[in-house]
Amino acid sequence: MAVAAARDLPPTFHPHPSSSAMEPRLRQLRKVPLLDFVARIGDLRADEASPVRKLVAEMIGEVGSKHMAYLPNVMPCLLDLLNDDTPAVARQAIKTGTTLFAKVLQQLVIQGLFTSGGIDESLKLSWEALLKLKSAVSHMAFQPMSNEGARLLAIKFVEKTVLLYTPDPDSPPDPPNEVTKDMGFNVAWLRGGHPLLNVGDLAMEASQNLGLLLEQLKPPKVKSLSTSMIIVFVTSLSAIAQRRPSFYGRILPVLLSLDPASSTIKVQVPGAFHALKSAFAACLKCTHSSAEPWRARLLEAQNIINQADSIEHSSNRVESLPQMETTSTDNSNKRNLVDDMNNALEDGGHSKKRIKSHDDQEHTDNAKNSVEPTSVDVSSSLSTPASTGNSEAVYQLVNMFAALAAQGDRAAGSLQILSSSIAADLLAEVVMVNMQHLPVCRAEVDSQPFGTPSSSLLSACLPLLESLLKRINQNDREVDEVPPTIDSAVVPSAAGEIAAISSIPGSTSRNPPIEENSNSSSVPFDMETVEAKAPTVDASIEIQESSEASHASTEPQGTQEHGGSFISSLPADNSSVGLSLAQSSETRSPSSSMVEASQAQFSSTLTSQHVLPKLVVTNIDLSDEAKDLLQKEAFMRILGSDKQDASGGSIAHLPLLAHLGVEFPLDLDPWELLQKHVLSDYVNNEGHELTLCILNRLYREAEQDQDFLSSRTATSVYESFLLTIAESLRDMFPASDKSLGKLLCEIPYLPEGALKLLEGLCSPGSNEKQEKDLQSGDRVTQGLSAVWNLIMLRPSNRERCLEIALQSSIHHLDEVRMKAIRLVANKLFPMSSISKRIEDFANEKLNSVLEVVPADESASSELSTPEAPKDGGSENMSSSVADAQTLMSLYFALCTKKHSLLQHVFAIYGSLPQAAKQAVHRQIPILIRTIGSSPSLLGIISDPPTDSCDLLMQVLQTLTDGAMPSQDLISSVKNLYAKTKDIEVLFAVLSHLPKDEVLPVFPSIVNLPMDKFQVALSRILQGSPQNGPSLDPSEILIAIHVIDPDKEGIPLKKVIDACAACFEQRTIFTQQVLAKALNQLVEQIPLPLLFMRTVMQAIGAFPALVDFVMDIMSRLVNKQIWKYPKLWVGFLKCAILTKPQSYGVLLQLPAPQLENALSKNPLLKAPLVEHANQPNVRSTLPRSTLVVLGLAEDQQQPAPQAQNSQNQAAETSSSAADTTTEVTQESSAVS
Amino acid sequence: MEAKRKMRFAMVCSSNMNRSMEAHSQLGRAGLDVASYGTGTHVKLPGPSLHEPNVYEFGTPYNVIYNDLRRKDPDLYKRNGLLPMLKRNTSVKLAPQRWQDNAGDGLFDVIFSFEERVFDLIVDDMHNREQRMLKNALIINMDVKDNHEEAGVGAKLALDFCQKLEATNDDWEEIIDDLIITFEKQHKRKLTYNMAFY
Repeated sequence: MAVAAARDLPPTFHPHPSSSAMEPRLRQLRKVPLLDFVARIGDLRADEASPVRKLVAEMIGEVGSKHMAYLPNVMPCLLDLLNDDTPAVARQAIKTGTTLFAKVLQQLVIQGLFTSGGIDESLKLSWEALLKLKSAVSHMAFQPMSNEGARLLAIKFVEKTVLLYTPDPDSPPDPPNEVTKDMGFNVAWLRGGHPLLNVGDLAMEASQNLGLLLEQLKPPKVKSLSTSMIIVFVTSLSAIAQRRPSFYGRILPVLLSLDPASSTIKVQVPGAFHALKSAFAACLKCTHSSAEPWRARLLEAQNIINQADSIEHSSNRVESLPQMETTSTDNSNKRNLVDDMNNALEDGGHSKKRIKSHDDQEHTDNAKNSVEPTSVDVSSSLSTPASTGNSEAVYQLVNMFAALAAQGDRAAGSLQILSSSIAADLLAEVVMVNMQHLPVCRAEVDSQPFGTPSSSLLSACLPLLESLLKRINQNDREVDEVPPTIDSAVVPSAAGEIAAISSIPGSTSRNPPIEENSNSSSVPFDMETVEAKAPTVDASIEIQESSEASHASTEPQGTQEHGGSFISSLPADNSSVGLSLAQSSETRSPSSSMVEASQAQFSSTLTSQHVLPKLVVTNIDLSDEAKDLLQKEAFMRILGSDKQDASGGSIAHLPLLAHLGVEFPLDLDPWELLQKHVLSDYVNNEGHELTLCILNRLYREAEQDQDFLSSRTATSVYESFLLTIAESLRDMFPASDKSLGKLLCEIPYLPEGALKLLEGLCSPGSNEKQEKDLQSGDRVTQGLSAVWNLIMLRPSNRERCLEIALQSSIHHLDEVRMKAIRLVANKLFPMSSISKRIEDFANEKLNSVLEVVPADESASSELSTPEAPKDGGSENMSSSVADAQTLMSLYFALCTKKHSLLQHVFAIYGSLPQAAKQAVHRQIPILIRTIGSSPSLLGIISDPPTDSCDLLMQVLQTLTDGAMPSQDLISSVKNLYAKTKDIEVLFAVLSHLPKDEVLPVFPSIVNLPMDKFQVALSRILQGSPQNGPSLDPSEILIAIHVIDPDKEGIPLKKVIDACAACFEQRTIFTQQVLAKALNQLVEQIPLPLLFMRTVMQAIGAFPALVDFVMDIMSRLVNKQIWKYPKLWVGFLKCAILTKPQSYGVLLQLPAPQLENALSKNPLLKAPLVEHANQPNVRSTLPRSTLVVLGLAEDQQQPAPQAQNSQNQAAETSSSAADTTTEVTQESSAVS
Repeated sequence: MEAKRKMRFAMVCSSNMNRSMEAHSQLGRAGLDVASYGTGTHVKLPGPSLHEPNVYEFGTPYNVIYNDLRRKDPDLYKRNGLLPMLKRNTSVKLAPQRWQDNAGDGLFDVIFSFEERVFDLIVDDMHNREQRMLKNALIINMDVKDNHEEAGVGAKLALDFCQKLEATNDDWEEIIDDLIITFEKQHKRKLTYNMAFY
């Protein structure tokens, strides 16, 4: 094959010129006869090019395995090449040698067994040569040399020979009947005898070689090895142990003694460490019965390695000796436990099998000792949660505890203090670390305060162990009662025995390989039958191995028991074993020294006839489902016991539960269980604390974990856990409960899911059912208060939470919105850091009204007047109005906090759609009432944006509604009026204006439409509480009458209407008022145009006024009313209206006017004449009047009249005109 | 003077997706003879949630996975870097390979793993294989976080170390300890190694 390979090699493979020059020569080799070829190979071995020599070594292998006959010829060459200076050549030589050795040996065995004619000479020669090679290579393996690569292979070679020389338990021990290809090979076939090979010799040699291999790993030699050498030794040995389990007893003690505690492997490179770890793991997998007794030790060693490994990781290779102290304490404890357990077993009658053939009490003790690994197996395999990621601090603490615990009772106080001063979760970590040793600690609870807290936790955490421990405790007590006798029996003798002991183990340990050889050679064939056949036959070997094992195992145990002092100098000889025992008896309790002593006795009294009880480890192989179930069950029970303890327990269990959750296999979904647990009694069960603990723990996992997948896993567990808890809290508790808010405030971070949940609370969806709405109000409050807390306490989430609150503040449900707005406006807006954001948001929403709300909505038909809010119930409020209101509410709320914001409302008012305007009108009264007449509002009032008139009116109205407007407001309004000349703006303050300010604007008021006039009228009349009405009713009437329609440009109709409006209000414009007004009006010069009309209306309204009117009329007569044609008409109408009372007045008229009046109203004449003809009347009438009335002659008449009344006047006045003038003058003088 | 022979390197992580592929890519670019593997039972990639990881069989071509993820949620997988990573992988080789199932790929001189669990699995697997050739293989572990940035850093370091090994001309046994100690000091990274024989 190699030849073929050489042929096919590409040219690049031989960069060296000389080697490429060689190539043709090598090619030639193919053509020569094989024997020549072999000879020429020999020539080439000294070639100067190393690749050539390497190839030669390879070719020898090919030739040798295919044509074994030529082997003797080429072997010297191969031997030569072994010592080649070039490492690669030497390596190849060893490889070739290894292959050849196996082939030749196999050939030899086959020939010896199946060929009758004996063995070929050449084969014999080859074998001899190979034996030479073997010794040469073995020599290389055990000598330090420069070529490490070669040495590694040499070790593998030795491994191979050991394997070849020893029977393979996995293949049939008998040779097949005929020779086949690939028949394999088992040295066990040779038992039947072989001409050349002796199975005993081979076994002895293998044992020797194994011994040499082991020797390399023992101090002091191991110290000089490089890491790679150690690795190879370790892997080789573990490979041997696995394939030849009978060597377990020899190999494992050495491997176990290499544990990182001993300074033998200084772990310069963790590789060695790791190799050891994987070797242990591999050995653990071995199911062979010889391997069973070692399981416990292996597990223990693995734990220690794992632990040390994690120390390594955390403390960067800090000296790990103190750590060992803890384990050693545990070890000593273990002894007691084991004893106890054995007692328990005995009492329970379970150990019958083990002690069956022994009546001797001592041997029962021995049996107990040998049971130890088994029991430890049980305990340690149950109590080893993976300890990963323990921090350095934890280990320091563990060491402190260990140091204190080592002092015994004296340190109890300090331990108490220490454990109480540690933070709960740190303590939990410490406990977790120590849980690996817990079952052992349990036995020491009484004497070691250290054990107390942990064991109570233990009982909570490992319910499976609970019952077991209880039993142990019982037995513990029983033992406590018994000891005096045992102590007295054993202790005094212990010292003496130790002296004896010191010499005894030596006999077994001084030269173990030799002794084994002697044994095995005496019963060579038993070795094969040991495993397969009767236990009685294997007794000797078993014992032999076990004795070695147990002896070897006392070494590390002994050292461990006494802390670090012995670890570095691992006692190889018996005297130090004795020393360690002596020390143990000094330092340990009597009972444990008894164990030690009895163990020593065990080794001392061991003879070949004492059959050790066969160790049966019942490894129950559980199905995966069963394991899962078991784990789940355990977890449930932990939770269950937590529930019971929780009320009174410390909070230490919380981190522990969280840790369990993290360490628990995900498939079993511990989180759901934890959730259930948390929620089962949130309030009383420290649900909040536990949740926090768990979330913190998960957060830590997510943040620290290097693994992409698992950190994502932790994150999503975190989020779903939190969400589930939060949702359940929401659904479980009344809205008034603060648990949810508190939880959200304190967790490590807020995932989006939780925020979504809050969002749902704060802005309940529209699709929610009606009955839920009742509740939702409180829910909203709950959500909002949580949001508020988060905004206050979680600056990093502030933005997002604010967003939630803001969204809620434009919620379509009034109730929700108002709550949110209260929060935003009252609580959040004052926070300077976010007020800008809030203002922007509100502003944006306000502006969005322009786009969102349709401009030509049916709402516009509902005229938007300032009165709109009054008639708008929420039912008939159109949807767009509601929409607009939704969007604007927040802004309005902000206006109450920041008045200057109002400016914008006014600014956009004009462009708002009708529905929006309506919404504004709905809201503005509330707003204005809240803020009052603030300076900024007054500013707006003085100078409002265009198109905001309606709004302004409403504002003014609201401001003055029921309240006394401030002077500032009034002056602002006046300013506004001065600008706009719109009388309506004054309306609001009209009642508060003084008379002299109202009168000038009164004509404008009259000029308004009737409805507005009436409003103004009522305001004026209403007046202010302090000053009374600015104008009283009579003054109003007068004011109306004094308006000069022409001059003021006001239609007369308006004035008439205004008058009519007054008359309609009879309760205000009473008889007296009218009388007063008329009384004053009649004196006006000139007389108001509407005077007579008003008079007549007054009489129409109040007939009782007729006397008063007569008086007025007579005064009008005196004022020569006939000179005002319009009024004269009215006067006459009035006279007709008021007849007969008016006759007196008519008769006062001068004759021409009377005549005029009568001619215009002929109907009057007859009754008037009749009236005048009464004697008492007639006597008072002047002649001229009588003449007009036809009661006297024309000539006659004037004289008596003139005589009667005024003679002079009658004489002087000839013309009617003159007379009238005179009368007027007279009457005016009279009045 | 010995003939220069190229060493064969294997880069191994658990899914043959991120760390090993990054290293494969970098070593390949540097001209080393390299292959890459995963030791997991499946190729597992993060999914939309904890309970829905994306699981594929080894041997599923990278571009098939790529298309699958792109169909599922292009945004998510673009954001978490899976899609770019898969794209890169398609340019390196066809499909993820499982270490344990590819013993037939021949002998490697150096097997480089990026996670202790993976390392253990390799060592275990190597020890379980039948040893015939007496060819030793160096198995090295360097813990690298399974994320994109760290994978890049780890790959660079792996390349650095492999080039040093390549420079030893196949005679690394004597100097491996020194190499490792130097490397650890220089990069403050811990290396673990073991040896196995083919």
